[in-house]
Amino acid sequence: MPMGNTQPSVRPASAGRAGGAAVTSAAHRSGARPRRTRGGLRAERYAPYILVLPAVLIIVLLRLYPLLLGVNFSFTGDGEQNGTAVGFGNYRELFADPLFQTALKNVGLLVLLLPVAVAIPGLLATFIYLRVPGHRFYRSVYFFPAVLSPVIVGAIFNLLLAFDGPLNAVLGSFGIGPVDWLGDPDIAMFMVVGVHIWATFGMALVVFLAGFATLDAALLDAARVDGATLRQVVWHVIIPALSRTIQFVFVTTMIGMLTSMFGLLYIMTSGGPEGSTYLPEFYIWKQQGQMNRPALASAASTILFMIMLVVGLLQIKLLERSGKED
Amino acid sequence: MRQRAIWSAVLVVGLALAGCGSASDSGKSTSSDGKLVVWDWKSGEPFAKSYLEKAKADFKKKHADVEVEFVAQPFDQYYTLLGAAIQSGKGPDVMLFNGGGQIRDRVDALVPLDDYVAEDKQRLAGWEAFAKDGKTYAAPVTLQGYPIYYNKEIYRKANLDPASPATTWDKFVADCAAIAKAGSKCFALGNKEGVGIQFWLSSLGSTTLTAAEYDAWIAGKRDWNSANVKRIFQTWKESGDRKMNSDGANSTAMFNDSFALFQSGKAAHVMGLMSDVGHWQDFNEFLTAEKLGVMKAPVVTAGTTPSLPYDGGIGYAVAKWTKDPKVAADLVRSLSSAEALKAFYADAGAIAADTTIDVSAGGPAVSTIVSELKSGKPALHVALSSKTLDLMGRLSQQLLSGSITVDEVVKQLAASDQAG
Repeated sequence: MPMGNTQPSVRPASAGRAGGAAVTSAAHRSGARPRRTRGGLRAERYAPYILVLPAVLIIVLLRLYPLLLGVNFSFTGDGEQNGTAVGFGNYRELFADPLFQTALKNVGLLVLLLPVAVAIPGLLATFIYLRVPGHRFYRSVYFFPAVLSPVIVGAIFNLLLAFDGPLNAVLGSFGIGPVDWLGDPDIAMFMVVGVHIWATFGMALVVFLAGFATLDAALLDAARVDGATLRQVVWHVIIPALSRTIQFVFVTTMIGMLTSMFGLLYIMTSGGPEGSTYLPEFYIWKQQGQMNRPALASAASTILFMIMLVVGLLQIKLLERSGKED
Repeated sequence: MRQRAIWSAVLVVGLALAGCGSASDSGKSTSSDGKLVVWDWKSGEPFAKSYLEKAKADFKKKHADVEVEFVAQPFDQYYTLLGAAIQSGKGPDVMLFNGGGQIRDRVDALVPLDDYVAEDKQRLAGWEAFAKDGKTYAAPVTLQGYPIYYNKEIYRKANLDPASPATTWDKFVADCAAIAKAGSKCFALGNKEGVGIQFWLSSLGSTTLTAAEYDAWIAGKRDWNSANVKRIFQTWKESGDRKMNSDGANSTAMFNDSFALFQSGKAAHVMGLMSDVGHWQDFNEFLTAEKLGVMKAPVVTAGTTPSLPYDGGIGYAVAKWTKDPKVAADLVRSLSSAEALKAFYADAGAIAADTTIDVSAGGPAVSTIVSELKSGKPALHVALSSKTLDLMGRLSQQLLSGSITVDEVVKQLAASDQAG
């Protein structure tokens, strides 16, 4: 799709970075202009380092150092073995624990469900962009859940999905037997992910709408003149033109799924039923707080960190690649 | 310009130093000479007010110069926060614990109190829940037990005699069929957290295991392959298969949805608690005292005698890093002094560890409970590690959904129990 190259970037992160660089260099230039005394020169030479120092210190002291401590801690024992090195003992225990395996499997499930989580806001944004009747109304309504805290969302859906709740009552009036939405291990995880998507797709929708704002309307008109159906328009015009927006939403949705489902899980299922809705985060919390196994929890955190690192690197790679296309 | 550069440098360095300071100062010692810091999850509640006042007054008599600060932590984060404090070796001098696994897992960080609390041993009940390897680590404040409550009104509707509930399991199952016919569920069960099975195990333990098996279990010699241990899980499964439980037990929270089912008269029985929540005081309030009954566990294995399962519920312990353990232990003693506990019983509706308190004004249910304390025994599930309890919760959900056999359950539990 040749049009892709002429599109302005829709990546807010990269735009912000570029803007920041411009401001810095402008400041530098204007700072270099006035009277040049030797002391002033020296101060100005060190000024950039001093100015970035707080950020570096905060990152090193509050991020990197604790991270290293955590990794180091994951190689020590718990309880009576507190403080003694146990090598990879915690990691061996983790991978032998069926509960942690379930947690990792659920991460895999999230990755598989990712296209759904991206397609829903994508499609809805498309409809809003194509001005379906009531599109203004939908645009604001879709964003509503995004401002609710996961705890509130979880509590609402706990009530809706309860065994004697309204959803089963509605199904019952159609003669369909009640389903234990949050009590059946084969269904519960899908319900939690579904609710998470419902609660967060508003944000992705906004990103998509921003992407649409950069879409050349002439293309759509041309496609319509050529007699393209809606499906063809979506597939051959909209998706290629928004490829970088889609990539961005993919990465942010993935991170959102991996790191911010704890609240929902805690409220809706607490990891149950039968441990079927565990995610690494919940597992870490449980081992640390409930089982008094901080070292084991550190090992699980290290593994979650590795997973996030892969996702993060993937993100950087994707963003760099689309950056080069500019 | 130079001025500005210098000022900004000063500002930046100052900020950076402040940053360093707060980073390295995060675990500031809370233990100083004239002050004791107490962590709990109760002191913020209105019902704890007069209890704390009485306890503080008692402590003031012994150590007038020592200041006491109570810090109420949110309960769902309590052990997470405490774990972090223990990990850093700094934190409160005195802290509240639940009896059983929660304190036994953390005795490394606590001071054995046996020498300090010897005088209270007779007056208070429930010490076992705070002991490990023969040493006591906390003084009980309340007792926590697992009586079976029943709704006399539903019994009447089902043409059963509310004055004499079933004494054998078979009769109980038959009664449940009659209750079902009258349109109510037999048990209000919430097993979302996997706690339902713990109450089941303890409530029916005394009438399923023989006395010898029961004592061996508490002493740590648990024979998971014994027919009677399996029987406990079989009755659990049976109650699910016979639809004796409220619907959707695996997605119903015990706290407090299942108790709400019982309170609102939708189920005839509930395995509840004695203190805090889901207890006689809550139920009295909704069902009224005359409709609320407490029954002995129905006999499952012939020849067994029902006894009330109970332990020390919550109790205060002393941290290893406190400056003067004697002073901290005195505070612990004040927190379980007779006057303070009387206030706790009156305001919170908890069964206090001091069994000499008069409860006759609380209605027939609480009188029954207190009268059974003498013959009571420690609860079976409290003896298990939190890891095994967690596993048991998940396995119990599988038993209800029919995706596991009883044999497999006891096999996995035995493995977990022996490892821990």
